[in-house]
Amino acid sequence: MNTSAHDEMLDTVAVYALGALPEREARAVREHLRSCAECREEYRLLAPAVSAVGISAEACVDAASAGASVAPPGPLLKKRIMQQIRPNVGEMRAVRPIVWPAYAVAAACVVAVLITSIFNTSLNSQLRESQTRVAQLNAHAAATARELNTQRTAIADLLSPDSQRFEVANGYVIKHGSRLYIAMNALPEPPKGKVYQAWTLRQGASKMSPSVTFVPNGSGVAVVPVPVNAASVVAVAVSVEPDGGSKQPTSTPTFVLKLAS
Amino acid sequence: MARVRAHDADAFEALYDRYHRLVYGVAFRMLGDAPTAEDVTQAVFLKLWSAPNLYQSGNFEGWIVRITRNRALDILRSKSHGHSELPEQQPSADDLEETAFADIDAGLVRAAIAQLPAEQRDPIRLGFFGGVTHEQIAQRTGVPLGTVKTRIRAGLRKLRTTLEGTVSV
Ligand SMILES: [Zn+2]
Repeated sequence: MNTSAHDEMLDTVAVYALGALPEREARAVREHLRSCAECREEYRLLAPAVSAVGISAEACVDAASAGASVAPPGPLLKKRIMQQIRPNVGEMRAVRPIVWPAYAVAAACVVAVLITSIFNTSLNSQLRESQTRVAQLNAHAAATARELNTQRTAIADLLSPDSQRFEVANGYVIKHGSRLYIAMNALPEPPKGKVYQAWTLRQGASKMSPSVTFVPNGSGVAVVPVPVNAASVVAVAVSVEPDGGSKQPTSTPTFVLKLAS
Repeated sequence: MARVRAHDADAFEALYDRYHRLVYGVAFRMLGDAPTAEDVTQAVFLKLWSAPNLYQSGNFEGWIVRITRNRALDILRSKSHGHSELPEQQPSADDLEETAFADIDAGLVRAAIAQLPAEQRDPIRLGFFGGVTHEQIAQRTGVPLGTVKTRIRAGLRKLRTTLEGTVSV
């Protein structure tokens, strides 16, 4: 490229930085920038000036006196946006117990009722809710999918004829392969500031390990996947602990279950 | 931004408070009506919340301005139904190094732009906010294309020099 042709290229780089080149020419400039240090330097110099042009449009409160500017949007816009942000906070962190209506778990024939009630109420409504939210926000899609998958797995496990069910105070402990669930159907609400916490005893260990914390829903129901390899657990327990959980039990367990290995 | 990445709603709110006037202002300037500018503002911030990793590093203001402008270009594009050629979107994740004016004040920039000769100021504003290509600028102003490009470059250089004199780089 001779000097005058390259001067023209430098002008084109400025128009590129401004974002006013049609697609095809922009592609050519990007290509050229890769191999030309002089043009890269020109771009590096001009890009902040372009950002500044954008910044000049910032809305300001005293728009009338500032000239060439607009008043900022009202507080309703912020409210609208924050409403879409807040309900989703924390969703990715906590292990949320899967909750379904009390009658489903309390019924004598747990399995049969689970099929209808879980699919009709809990899973469907959560799925609908999740789908709406994903559509609205296109956010947390992966987390939601994982969660739904966990729930599907949980339901399959709970329904599986070869799951082992152990009756304990206030409900059941259910084991299917390597997975373990605590399914409570009549769990009293814990005292204020307290939660229920699961404990597991690994084969060969001398002490219980702390596991997830949970609270029942208004009907005393909580179904909690215990994040542990059930195959290596020889006992599971639940106790009432301060909110946030404890490192070791601080109260008499509501149940301790020895799992047949 | 690190806290927004961790989905900290308070950090997000602070970011909104700090930058919503900028996002809205750019959108309003390009689209010319408040409801659409609000929609763009909402879309930009929700995008920021749902995909915070789109912002990698570098000057955040410059980045959010580009994101906003691209969004507004999308809307202009859909309105024009492909009848007119629109400039390509600015790369949002710029792999080119960019030195930035730290925390620059909009009032200062407005003053600096006002100092530019109109023949440089107009094509720069039209190119940035008008969503038009340099060829369309040449057509509309009746100035030869080569001259438009030279004036844009001269104006941007002058703007940079003026701003360098007033803020730290
Ligand atoms: Zn070059």
